[in-house]
Amino acid sequence: MSIKTEQRWLRLVNASLIVLVLLWAIPIIGLFISSLRAKSDVLNSGWWTILYTKSRLTFANYKQVLGGSKYTFVDSAGRTVRASGDNLSRAFINSLTVTIPSVIIPLLIASAAAFGFAWLIFPGRKAFFTAVVAMLVVPLQIALIPILRDYQKIGLTGSYLGIWLAHTGFGLPLGIYLLYNYVSTIPRDIFESAFLDGAKPLVVFARLVLPLSVPAIASLAIFQFLWVWNDLLVALVFLGGTSDVAVLTQRLATMVGSRGQDWHLLTAGAFIVMVIPLIVFFALQRYFVQGLMAGSVKG
Amino acid sequence: MKKVLMIALIIAIVAMPIFSAGQAEKVSAQKTVTVFGAFVDEEAHRFEEAIRPFEEKTGIKVIYEGSKDFETLISVRVEGGNAPDIAGLPQPGLMLNFAEKGKLVPIWSSLGALIDKNYAPVWRDLGSYKGTTYGVFHRVNAKSFVWYPKKAWAKAGYTVPKTWDELNRLMDRMVANGHTPWAVGIESGGATGWVGTDWIEDIMLRTAGPEKYDRWVSGELGFNSPEVKAAFEVLGKIWLDPRYVYGGKNYILTTSFGDAQEPLFTNPPKAWMHRQGNFITGFFPEEVQESLEDEVGVFALPAIDVQFGIPVLGGGDQFVVFNDRPEVRQFMEFLATWESGKLWAQAGGALFPYLDQDLRAYPNAIERSLAEALVNAKVFRFDASDLMPAQVGAGTFWSGIVDWVGGKSLDAVLSDIQRSWPK
Repeated sequence: MSIKTEQRWLRLVNASLIVLVLLWAIPIIGLFISSLRAKSDVLNSGWWTILYTKSRLTFANYKQVLGGSKYTFVDSAGRTVRASGDNLSRAFINSLTVTIPSVIIPLLIASAAAFGFAWLIFPGRKAFFTAVVAMLVVPLQIALIPILRDYQKIGLTGSYLGIWLAHTGFGLPLGIYLLYNYVSTIPRDIFESAFLDGAKPLVVFARLVLPLSVPAIASLAIFQFLWVWNDLLVALVFLGGTSDVAVLTQRLATMVGSRGQDWHLLTAGAFIVMVIPLIVFFALQRYFVQGLMAGSVKG
Repeated sequence: MKKVLMIALIIAIVAMPIFSAGQAEKVSAQKTVTVFGAFVDEEAHRFEEAIRPFEEKTGIKVIYEGSKDFETLISVRVEGGNAPDIAGLPQPGLMLNFAEKGKLVPIWSSLGALIDKNYAPVWRDLGSYKGTTYGVFHRVNAKSFVWYPKKAWAKAGYTVPKTWDELNRLMDRMVANGHTPWAVGIESGGATGWVGTDWIEDIMLRTAGPEKYDRWVSGELGFNSPEVKAAFEVLGKIWLDPRYVYGGKNYILTTSFGDAQEPLFTNPPKAWMHRQGNFITGFFPEEVQESLEDEVGVFALPAIDVQFGIPVLGGGDQFVVFNDRPEVRQFMEFLATWESGKLWAQAGGALFPYLDQDLRAYPNAIERSLAEALVNAKVFRFDASDLMPAQVGAGTFWSGIVDWVGGKSLDAVLSDIQRSWPK
C-alpha cells in the first residue's frame, strides 16, 4: 500500500471516529443545554432551538436543585412561612458515607482473597474459587428479601454498617475474579525469593502483591465506586429513604415530584451528581486503561 | 508504616457504625411512629407540616419516608420483616394483597367509630377486605373536572355547560368559531393510556350508573358488553373527531398527560378545555399558577343520564397499620379527623374527604369548589383501573385505549381486553 492511500485511510478512520464521538455526545450536550433552560422553554421546544432562536439561559434549575425547592406553608399558629425543601448537601454526605467504605472494604478483602486463591496452597482451593465465580451469575435482586430478614434479626437494617456489608457482598465475586486473574500473572520468581528470605504470606501480600496490583485495584475501585454511587435499589432496601440517610440517587428520584411534574430538574441534578464520579474517574484514569487489561494476558 | 495506616483504617471502619448506633439509641427514647408512603418532595413536606400539631400535642415523633418506588419497596420490606408502622397505600389492590396475607392490623372500635362519623360510607368500603376495615383515607383526589382558560372564555362568550347536550352544543359553537374544544394527551411512559381509562370510567358512571360500574369493576360486566361499548362510543365522538381535539390522534398519543394542558394557556388558546384531576394545577405554567383564580375556571364533567346526577371519580392513599402500638393507634385516630388535613388544605394542592371539614380552609375558590363537589357527590367511585386485576387495570385497559385511538376497531379492542381478564 502506498503512503498516499494509507493517509487517505487514516483520514477516513479519523473522520468516522469524529462522527461517532459526536453522535455519542449529542444526548449529553442536549442534556446540558436543557439543564440551563427555564422550565417553560424545556417543555415547549427542543434544546436544539437555541441554535437558531434567541432564548435565555439560566442557572435556576441548578439553584433549585442545590438549594431545595421553595414552598410556602401555614404553620399551626396560622402564620405563613416560606421555607426550602431538602437540598443535596446532606445527600452528598450520605452518599460519600455509604460509598467510601463500600469501596475500601471489598477491595481489601478481594485483594487478599485473590492472593490466597492464586498463590497459597490449601485444600478445597479450586472448589472455593469455583463457588466465588459461580456467584457472579446470581442476580443480587433475589438476595434482597433473605438478607433483609437476617438483617432485621440482628438489627442491621437502616445502619451504615448494613449497607457497607451488603455492597461488599455484592461486589466481592467480580472483585475477587478480576484481581485473581491479575495477581496470578505476577512472576513466580518474585514470590519464591521472598519466601526464601523468610517472608510470611501476610508480608508478601502487603509488600509485594498490593503494590504490584495497583492498576487492577484502581480499575476495580472505579467499577465499584460507580456501582455503589449510582445504586438506588440496595440503598432503598437496606438503608431506607428518610432524609437523614437518603443518598443522592434517592434525592434525585424524589426531586421530580410525586407525579413527575418537575422532571426538568433532573437535567441539572444529573450534572451535579456526575461531578464526584468524574473526579474519581480522572484521578484513577491512568491506571484504568492498564487495569482494563487485567488478567487478559496470563503469564 | 503502611500496616499502622491500615489498622487505623480498619478501626475507623469498625468504630463508625458503633458511633452512629449510639446516636440512634438517643432518638429512640422518644416514642416514634414510622410512616412510609408514595408521595415525595413538596407533598411529603406538606404532610409533615400537616401532622405537626399532632406531634406537638402528644410528643410522639412521626417519621415520614416517601419513595417513588413505593410499590416495589413496600412488598420487599414487608416480606423482609422490616415493615413500617403505617403505610400509605395508593392502590386498593395493595391493601387487599396485604390483608389477604394477614399482614395488616384491622382497625379497632374507636377508630371505626371515627371513620363512620367523619367519612361517607364509600370510604369505609374502599378500606375494607371481606368485611374487615383496614384502611383510613387522608388526602384524596378527584378526577371528573374540566379546566378552561377563564379570561379567553369570557372574551369569546362561552358559558359553563350544565348538561351533556349543552357541552355538545358548546363544542360545536367552538368549532364554528374556528376554535378547537379539547386538549388531550395520554402519554405517560409505561402507564400510557390511563388518561383514557379515566375518561371511560367517568362516562361509564354517567351512562351506566354506579351499580353497573361496580359490576364492571368486579368483572361481572364484561368489556364486550353493550354498556362499555356505548361508553367508548361517547368518547369516540369527541376524541376521534379531528375537529374537536387539538392536534388530532397524533397529539393524543404522543403528548404527555402533564404537558397536554399547555394549549389552553397560549394566547390565543390553541384548545379550550382540558379534563383532568385536581392535581393538574401543579402542571400549569407558573404565571397561571400564581393567579389561578383569575386565569383558570373549572366545572365538573356534566351528567349524561340525569338519574345518576354528577358522579365523581377519584382515588386516594389509604393508611394501614402493620405494627400495633399505642402511639400508632393514636396517630391513626388523628389521621381520621379533619384536623390532620386542615393545614395541608390551607397550603393548597390537596383535597380531603372529611364530612365535617371547613371548606373555608381551602386557599382559593377553585379548590373550594372541588372539595365541595367531592363532599357533596351522591356517587363517588374509586378509579376502576386501580381496582381491576393488574393485568387489565394496569395493562390491557391502558394499551387498549392506545390501540383504539391508533385506529384498531372498537370490537377487536374490547374483546382483546375481555380475553385478558384473569379467569
